[in-house]
Amino acid sequence: MEPLKPVRKRQILEASPSATPEEVAEYEKLLAERFTVDPDLPRDPATLNLRQRKTDRLRELRQKLFPDAEAETNGGETTATR
Amino acid sequence: MANSSPVVTVLNPGDTTKPNPFTICIVANPALEAPWQSRQFVVDPITLSNAAFNGCAKYIQDVLFGNLPGQRELFLADPAIAPKIRVVTLFVSGLPALDANSLVAQDADSNLLVARRVAFQPFLVRYGLVADVAYGVSASTTHTRASAWFTSDDDARPGVGFTLDGVALAHRYYCLIPGTVGIHVTATSMTALHEFGHALSSYSNGMVVDLYVDSNPALNCKAGRPIPPQFANYNAATLASDPLRDTLGYPPGWNSYHCELLDPGFPALMDDYWLAPDSVPEHCQHDRITRQFLTDRIRAKIQR
Repeated sequence: MEPLKPVRKRQILEASPSATPEEVAEYEKLLAERFTVDPDLPRDPATLNLRQRKTDRLRELRQKLFPDAEAETNGGETTATR
Repeated sequence: MANSSPVVTVLNPGDTTKPNPFTICIVANPALEAPWQSRQFVVDPITLSNAAFNGCAKYIQDVLFGNLPGQRELFLADPAIAPKIRVVTLFVSGLPALDANSLVAQDADSNLLVARRVAFQPFLVRYGLVADVAYGVSASTTHTRASAWFTSDDDARPGVGFTLDGVALAHRYYCLIPGTVGIHVTATSMTALHEFGHALSSYSNGMVVDLYVDSNPALNCKAGRPIPPQFANYNAATLASDPLRDTLGYPPGWNSYHCELLDPGFPALMDDYWLAPDSVPEHCQHDRITRQFLTDRIRAKIQR
Protein backbone atom coordinates (compact mmCIF):
# COMPACT_ATOMS: atom_id res chain seq x y z
CA MET A 1 0.00 0.00 0.00
CA GLU A 2 1.40 3.33 -1.04
CA PRO A 3 2.34 5.42 2.00
CA LEU A 4 0.57 8.71 2.52
CA LYS A 5 2.66 11.71 1.63
CA PRO A 6 3.54 13.93 4.60
CA VAL A 7 1.61 16.83 3.13
CA ARG A 8 -1.50 14.67 2.94
CA LYS A 9 -1.19 13.66 6.60
CA ARG A 10 -1.00 17.33 7.53
CA GLN A 11 -4.06 18.09 5.42
CA ILE A 12 -6.05 15.34 7.11
CA LEU A 13 -5.25 16.68 10.56
CA GLU A 14 -5.97 20.27 9.54
CA ALA A 15 -9.30 19.31 8.02
CA SER A 16 -10.33 17.30 11.06
CA PRO A 17 -9.03 19.18 14.12
CA SER A 18 -10.33 16.60 16.58
CA ALA A 19 -8.31 13.84 14.92
CA THR A 20 -4.90 12.85 16.24
CA PRO A 21 -1.76 11.56 14.50
CA GLU A 22 -2.29 8.31 16.43
CA GLU A 23 -5.71 7.91 14.83
CA VAL A 24 -4.23 8.48 11.38
CA ALA A 25 -1.63 5.82 12.20
CA GLU A 26 -4.30 3.38 13.39
CA TYR A 27 -6.37 4.01 10.25
CA GLU A 28 -3.32 3.34 8.10
CA LYS A 29 -2.46 0.20 10.05
CA LEU A 30 -5.98 -1.19 9.63
CA LEU A 31 -5.93 -0.43 5.91
CA ALA A 32 -2.56 -2.10 5.42
CA GLU A 33 -3.53 -5.12 7.50
CA ARG A 34 -6.37 -6.01 5.13
CA PHE A 35 -3.83 -6.97 2.47
CA THR A 36 -1.92 -9.33 4.77
CA VAL A 37 -4.73 -11.88 4.87
CA ASP A 38 -5.38 -14.02 1.80
CA PRO A 39 -8.93 -12.94 0.95
CA ASP A 40 -9.62 -16.13 -0.96
CA LEU A 41 -9.00 -18.60 1.84
CA PRO A 42 -11.86 -19.74 4.07
CA ARG A 43 -11.94 -18.26 7.57
CA ASP A 44 -13.37 -19.58 10.81
CA PRO A 45 -16.16 -17.61 12.52
CA ALA A 46 -13.86 -16.18 15.18
CA THR A 47 -11.52 -14.79 12.53
CA LEU A 48 -14.44 -13.37 10.58
CA ASN A 49 -15.76 -11.69 13.72
CA LEU A 50 -12.37 -10.15 14.42
CA ARG A 51 -12.14 -8.94 10.84
CA GLN A 52 -15.60 -7.36 11.08
CA ARG A 53 -14.64 -5.54 14.28
CA LYS A 54 -11.57 -4.17 12.56
CA THR A 55 -13.65 -3.08 9.58
CA ASP A 56 -16.06 -1.32 11.92
CA ARG A 57 -13.19 0.48 13.60
CA LEU A 58 -11.71 1.40 10.23
CA ARG A 59 -15.00 2.98 9.17
CA GLU A 60 -15.31 4.80 12.46
CA LEU A 61 -11.86 6.28 11.95
CA ARG A 62 -12.61 7.13 8.37
CA GLN A 63 -15.67 9.10 9.35
CA LYS A 64 -13.62 11.03 11.87
CA LEU A 65 -10.63 11.65 9.62
CA PHE A 66 -12.58 12.40 6.46
CA PRO A 67 -15.84 13.96 7.59
CA ASP A 68 -16.49 15.57 4.22
CA ALA A 69 -15.62 12.60 2.07
CA GLU A 70 -18.62 10.34 2.58
CA ALA A 71 -20.44 11.37 -0.59
CA GLU A 72 -17.58 10.70 -2.94
CA THR A 73 -16.03 7.77 -1.01
CA ASN A 74 -12.60 8.95 -1.90
CA GLY A 75 -10.93 9.22 1.47
CA GLY A 76 -10.66 12.94 0.97
CA GLU A 77 -7.73 12.88 -1.39
CA THR A 78 -7.94 14.07 -4.95
CA THR A 79 -5.47 13.74 -7.72
CA ALA A 80 -4.61 17.40 -7.30
CA THR A 81 -3.38 16.86 -3.76
CA ARG A 82 -1.02 14.02 -4.55
CA MET B 1 -18.11 2.66 -27.32
CA ALA B 2 -16.81 0.26 -29.91
CA ASN B 3 -14.73 -2.66 -28.74
CA SER B 4 -11.23 -2.00 -30.04
CA SER B 5 -8.69 -4.58 -30.98
CA PRO B 6 -6.53 -5.47 -28.02
CA VAL B 7 -3.08 -3.96 -28.15
CA VAL B 8 -0.49 -6.31 -26.70
CA THR B 9 2.98 -4.80 -26.49
CA VAL B 10 6.06 -6.67 -25.39
CA LEU B 11 8.28 -4.23 -23.53
CA ASN B 12 10.83 -6.86 -22.60
CA PRO B 13 10.81 -10.29 -24.24
CA GLY B 14 12.24 -12.11 -21.25
CA ASP B 15 13.71 -15.59 -21.51
CA THR B 16 12.54 -16.67 -24.94
CA THR B 17 14.07 -20.13 -24.47
CA LYS B 18 11.35 -20.98 -21.96
CA PRO B 19 7.71 -21.71 -22.71
CA ASN B 20 6.55 -19.74 -19.67
CA PRO B 21 9.13 -17.17 -18.63
CA PHE B 22 8.56 -15.11 -15.51
CA THR B 23 6.10 -12.48 -16.71
CA ILE B 24 4.93 -9.11 -15.49
CA CYS B 25 1.72 -7.88 -17.16
CA ILE B 26 0.68 -4.24 -17.10
CA VAL B 27 -2.99 -3.92 -18.03
CA ALA B 28 -5.26 -0.96 -18.66
CA ASN B 29 -8.19 -1.69 -16.38
CA PRO B 30 -11.31 -1.97 -18.53
CA ALA B 31 -13.87 -1.51 -15.75
CA LEU B 32 -13.82 -0.21 -12.19
CA GLU B 33 -15.81 -1.85 -9.45
CA ALA B 34 -17.17 1.12 -7.52
CA PRO B 35 -17.14 0.65 -4.66
CA TRP B 36 -15.11 -2.48 -4.04
CA GLN B 37 -17.20 -5.63 -3.51
CA SER B 38 -20.40 -3.87 -4.61
CA ARG B 39 -20.63 -5.68 -7.96
CA GLN B 40 -21.37 -2.33 -9.55
CA PHE B 41 -19.13 -1.53 -12.47
CA VAL B 42 -18.29 1.52 -14.54
CA VAL B 43 -15.94 1.96 -17.47
CA ASP B 44 -12.47 2.98 -16.31
CA PRO B 45 -11.39 6.27 -17.95
CA ILE B 46 -7.97 4.75 -18.64
CA THR B 47 -9.57 2.97 -21.60
CA LEU B 48 -9.99 6.36 -23.25
CA SER B 49 -6.30 7.16 -23.28
CA ASN B 50 -3.86 4.68 -24.72
CA ALA B 51 -1.16 7.36 -24.54
CA ALA B 52 -1.62 7.91 -20.81
CA PHE B 53 -1.57 4.16 -20.24
CA ASN B 54 1.60 3.79 -22.27
CA GLY B 55 3.22 6.55 -20.21
CA CYS B 56 2.33 4.76 -17.00
CA ALA B 57 3.58 1.43 -18.36
CA LYS B 58 6.89 3.07 -19.25
CA TYR B 59 7.11 4.50 -15.74
CA ILE B 60 6.48 1.06 -14.22
CA GLN B 61 9.08 -0.54 -16.44
CA ASP B 62 11.58 2.21 -15.64
CA VAL B 63 11.25 1.93 -11.88
CA LEU B 64 11.23 -1.88 -11.93
CA PHE B 65 14.53 -1.97 -13.75
CA GLY B 66 16.19 0.88 -11.90
CA ASN B 67 15.97 3.53 -14.58
CA LEU B 68 14.51 6.47 -12.68
CA PRO B 69 16.97 9.34 -12.25
CA GLY B 70 19.08 8.70 -9.18
CA GLN B 71 17.39 5.39 -8.40
CA ARG B 72 19.44 3.18 -6.07
CA GLU B 73 17.26 0.06 -5.74
CA LEU B 74 18.49 -2.00 -8.67
CA PHE B 75 17.86 -5.62 -7.76
CA LEU B 76 15.86 -6.36 -10.90
CA ALA B 77 18.43 -4.56 -13.05
CA ASP B 78 20.98 -7.30 -12.38
CA PRO B 79 22.17 -8.42 -15.83
CA ALA B 80 21.59 -12.01 -14.74
CA ILE B 81 17.95 -11.22 -13.96
CA ALA B 82 16.57 -8.36 -16.09
CA PRO B 83 16.84 -10.06 -19.50
CA LYS B 84 14.95 -13.08 -18.12
CA ILE B 85 11.87 -11.10 -17.16
CA ARG B 86 9.11 -10.76 -19.70
CA VAL B 87 7.13 -7.51 -19.49
CA VAL B 88 3.94 -7.20 -21.51
CA THR B 89 1.30 -4.50 -21.66
CA LEU B 90 -2.33 -4.95 -22.64
CA PHE B 91 -4.69 -2.16 -23.65
CA VAL B 92 -8.27 -2.87 -24.66
CA SER B 93 -10.97 -0.24 -24.94
CA GLY B 94 -14.67 -0.57 -25.38
CA LEU B 95 -15.26 -3.61 -23.22
CA PRO B 96 -18.53 -3.56 -21.28
CA ALA B 97 -18.36 -2.68 -17.58
CA LEU B 98 -18.84 -6.19 -16.27
CA ASP B 99 -17.41 -8.34 -13.51
CA ALA B 100 -15.19 -10.28 -15.91
CA ASN B 101 -13.65 -7.07 -17.27
CA SER B 102 -12.96 -5.44 -13.93
CA LEU B 103 -9.43 -5.74 -12.58
CA VAL B 104 -9.41 -2.80 -10.17
CA ALA B 105 -11.87 -1.55 -7.57
CA GLN B 106 -12.33 1.67 -5.62
CA ASP B 107 -12.14 1.11 -1.89
CA ALA B 108 -15.12 2.43 0.06
CA ASP B 109 -13.04 3.14 3.16
CA SER B 110 -10.16 5.04 1.59
CA ASN B 111 -8.90 6.33 -1.72
CA LEU B 112 -7.07 3.07 -2.39
CA LEU B 113 -7.27 1.33 -5.71
CA VAL B 114 -7.68 -2.38 -4.95
CA ALA B 115 -6.73 -5.10 -7.39
CA ARG B 116 -9.52 -7.63 -7.98
CA ARG B 117 -6.95 -10.38 -7.75
CA VAL B 118 -8.93 -13.39 -8.94
CA ALA B 119 -10.14 -11.56 -12.04
CA PHE B 120 -6.68 -11.15 -13.55
CA GLN B 121 -5.88 -14.69 -14.70
CA PRO B 122 -9.12 -15.39 -16.56
CA PHE B 123 -8.99 -11.93 -18.13
CA LEU B 124 -5.40 -12.30 -19.29
CA VAL B 125 -5.98 -15.79 -20.66
CA ARG B 126 -8.49 -14.31 -23.09
CA TYR B 127 -5.55 -12.50 -24.67
CA GLY B 128 -3.10 -15.39 -24.47
CA LEU B 129 -1.26 -13.98 -21.47
CA VAL B 130 -0.18 -15.47 -18.16
CA ALA B 131 1.25 -13.33 -15.36
CA ASP B 132 3.33 -13.91 -12.27
CA VAL B 133 2.78 -10.31 -11.21
CA ALA B 134 0.16 -8.06 -12.76
CA TYR B 135 -0.54 -4.35 -12.54
CA GLY B 136 -4.02 -3.01 -13.19
CA VAL B 137 -3.73 0.65 -14.21
CA SER B 138 -6.69 2.91 -13.53
CA ALA B 139 -7.53 6.53 -14.24
CA SER B 140 -10.14 6.71 -11.50
CA THR B 141 -11.18 10.30 -10.87
CA THR B 142 -11.39 9.81 -7.10
CA HIS B 143 -9.07 6.97 -6.08
CA THR B 144 -5.38 7.48 -6.68
CA ARG B 145 -3.48 5.46 -4.10
CA ALA B 146 -1.86 2.14 -5.01
CA SER B 147 -2.16 -1.16 -3.18
CA ALA B 148 -1.16 -4.76 -3.74
CA TRP B 149 -2.01 -8.34 -2.82
CA PHE B 150 0.71 -10.91 -2.26
CA THR B 151 1.03 -13.93 -4.53
CA SER B 152 -0.85 -17.11 -3.65
CA ASP B 153 1.78 -19.72 -4.39
CA ASP B 154 1.08 -23.12 -5.86
CA ASP B 155 2.56 -25.04 -2.95
CA ALA B 156 1.82 -28.36 -4.63
CA ARG B 157 4.44 -27.64 -7.28
CA PRO B 158 8.20 -27.42 -6.93
CA GLY B 159 10.40 -24.51 -6.04
CA VAL B 160 13.71 -23.65 -4.43
CA GLY B 161 13.75 -24.41 -0.74
CA PHE B 162 15.00 -22.04 1.90
CA THR B 163 14.86 -21.71 5.65
CA LEU B 164 13.63 -18.78 7.69
CA ASP B 165 14.41 -19.05 11.39
CA GLY B 166 14.57 -22.81 11.03
CA VAL B 167 11.28 -23.15 9.16
CA ALA B 168 11.45 -24.79 5.73
CA LEU B 169 9.76 -22.72 3.02
CA ALA B 170 10.11 -22.48 -0.75
CA HIS B 171 10.36 -19.93 -3.49
CA ARG B 172 7.67 -21.56 -5.61
CA TYR B 173 8.01 -21.59 -9.36
CA TYR B 174 4.32 -21.10 -10.01
CA CYS B 175 1.34 -19.38 -8.46
CA LEU B 176 -2.33 -20.12 -8.03
CA ILE B 177 -3.14 -16.40 -8.03
CA PRO B 178 -0.55 -13.91 -9.25
CA GLY B 179 0.63 -11.02 -7.17
CA THR B 180 -1.57 -8.10 -8.17
CA VAL B 181 -1.33 -4.34 -7.96
CA GLY B 182 -3.95 -1.64 -8.39
CA ILE B 183 -2.18 1.53 -9.42
CA HIS B 184 -3.19 4.96 -10.70
CA VAL B 185 -2.07 6.25 -14.06
CA THR B 186 -0.43 9.23 -12.32
CA ALA B 187 1.73 7.12 -9.97
CA THR B 188 5.28 8.32 -9.59
CA SER B 189 8.61 7.66 -7.93
CA MET B 190 9.07 4.37 -6.04
CA THR B 191 5.39 3.47 -5.78
CA ALA B 192 5.33 0.80 -8.48
CA LEU B 193 8.47 -0.87 -7.11
CA HIS B 194 7.20 -0.71 -3.52
CA GLU B 195 4.02 -2.48 -4.66
CA PHE B 196 6.05 -5.00 -6.62
CA GLY B 197 7.78 -5.90 -3.34
CA HIS B 198 4.41 -6.85 -1.90
CA ALA B 199 3.12 -8.56 -5.02
CA LEU B 200 6.16 -10.75 -5.60
CA SER B 201 6.05 -11.98 -2.01
CA SER B 202 3.83 -14.80 -0.86
CA TYR B 203 1.01 -15.53 1.54
CA SER B 204 2.47 -18.95 2.32
CA ASN B 205 6.22 -18.48 1.80
CA GLY B 206 7.03 -15.03 3.11
CA MET B 207 5.01 -11.82 3.12
CA VAL B 208 6.74 -8.48 2.53
CA VAL B 209 4.62 -6.03 4.47
CA ASP B 210 4.43 -2.27 4.90
CA LEU B 211 6.95 -0.97 7.40
CA TYR B 212 5.44 2.49 7.90
CA VAL B 213 2.72 1.07 10.14
CA ASP B 214 3.08 -1.13 13.21
CA SER B 215 2.64 -4.28 11.15
CA ASN B 216 2.21 -7.81 12.40
CA PRO B 217 5.15 -10.21 12.03
CA ALA B 218 6.10 -11.16 8.49
CA LEU B 219 9.26 -11.78 6.50
CA ASN B 220 10.48 -8.20 6.89
CA CYS B 221 8.86 -7.36 10.21
CA LYS B 222 9.03 -8.81 13.71
CA ALA B 223 7.47 -7.90 17.00
CA GLY B 224 8.74 -7.47 20.53
CA ARG B 225 10.64 -5.22 22.88
CA PRO B 226 13.48 -4.89 23.58
CA ILE B 227 14.64 -5.23 19.99
CA PRO B 228 17.10 -8.13 19.81
CA PRO B 229 20.38 -7.71 17.92
CA GLN B 230 19.49 -10.55 15.54
CA PHE B 231 16.54 -10.03 13.23
CA ALA B 232 16.42 -13.40 11.50
CA ASN B 233 18.30 -16.37 10.21
CA TYR B 234 17.67 -16.61 6.49
CA ASN B 235 19.22 -19.57 4.69
CA ALA B 236 21.90 -19.93 7.38
CA ALA B 237 22.81 -16.23 7.21
CA THR B 238 22.29 -14.20 10.35
CA LEU B 239 20.76 -10.80 9.68
CA ALA B 240 20.82 -7.97 12.20
CA SER B 241 17.88 -5.94 13.43
CA ASP B 242 17.54 -2.23 12.83
CA PRO B 243 17.49 -1.01 16.44
CA LEU B 244 16.63 2.58 15.52
CA ARG B 245 14.62 2.55 12.29
CA ASP B 246 17.30 4.97 11.19
CA THR B 247 16.26 8.43 10.09
CA LEU B 248 12.63 7.74 11.07
CA GLY B 249 12.66 6.14 14.52
CA TYR B 250 10.14 3.65 15.92
CA PRO B 251 7.17 5.60 17.30
CA PRO B 252 6.39 5.08 20.99
CA GLY B 253 3.96 2.24 21.38
CA TRP B 254 5.13 0.29 18.37
CA ASN B 255 5.83 -3.36 18.94
CA SER B 256 7.26 -4.14 15.51
CA TYR B 257 10.86 -3.82 14.39
CA HIS B 258 12.71 -4.24 11.12
CA CYS B 259 15.79 -5.77 9.55
CA GLU B 260 19.03 -3.87 9.14
CA LEU B 261 19.11 -1.35 6.34
CA LEU B 262 21.48 -1.53 3.40
CA ASP B 263 21.81 2.25 3.63
CA PRO B 264 21.02 3.57 7.11
CA GLY B 265 20.76 7.06 5.68
CA PHE B 266 17.43 6.34 4.00
CA PRO B 267 14.16 4.62 4.90
CA ALA B 268 13.63 1.11 3.59
CA LEU B 269 11.68 0.95 0.36
CA MET B 270 8.83 -0.87 2.11
CA ASP B 271 8.83 1.89 4.72
CA ASP B 272 7.79 5.50 4.08
CA TYR B 273 9.98 6.35 1.11
CA TRP B 274 8.34 9.78 0.90
CA LEU B 275 10.37 10.63 4.02
CA ALA B 276 13.78 10.25 2.42
CA PRO B 277 15.88 12.86 4.24
CA ASP B 278 17.02 14.49 1.02
CA SER B 279 13.45 14.40 -0.35
CA VAL B 280 14.57 11.98 -3.06
CA PRO B 281 12.58 8.74 -2.59
CA GLU B 282 14.56 7.18 -5.43
CA HIS B 283 17.48 6.93 -3.01
CA CYS B 284 15.62 4.39 -0.84
CA GLN B 285 16.51 0.71 -1.06
CA HIS B 286 15.11 -2.48 0.38
CA ASP B 287 16.37 -3.60 3.77
CA ARG B 288 18.76 -6.55 3.83
CA ILE B 289 16.31 -9.42 4.23
CA THR B 290 13.80 -8.01 1.75
CA ARG B 291 16.48 -7.50 -0.88
CA GLN B 292 17.81 -11.02 -0.43
CA PHE B 293 14.39 -12.66 -0.29
CA LEU B 294 13.02 -10.92 -3.39
CA THR B 295 16.21 -11.55 -5.32
CA ASP B 296 16.21 -15.25 -4.41
CA ARG B 297 12.53 -15.54 -5.23
CA ILE B 298 12.89 -14.01 -8.66
CA ARG B 299 15.99 -16.11 -9.36
CA ALA B 300 14.00 -19.22 -8.54
CA LYS B 301 11.17 -18.22 -10.82
CA ILE B 302 13.32 -17.27 -13.81
CA GLN B 303 15.05 -20.66 -13.70
CA ARG B 304 11.85 -22.73 -13.81
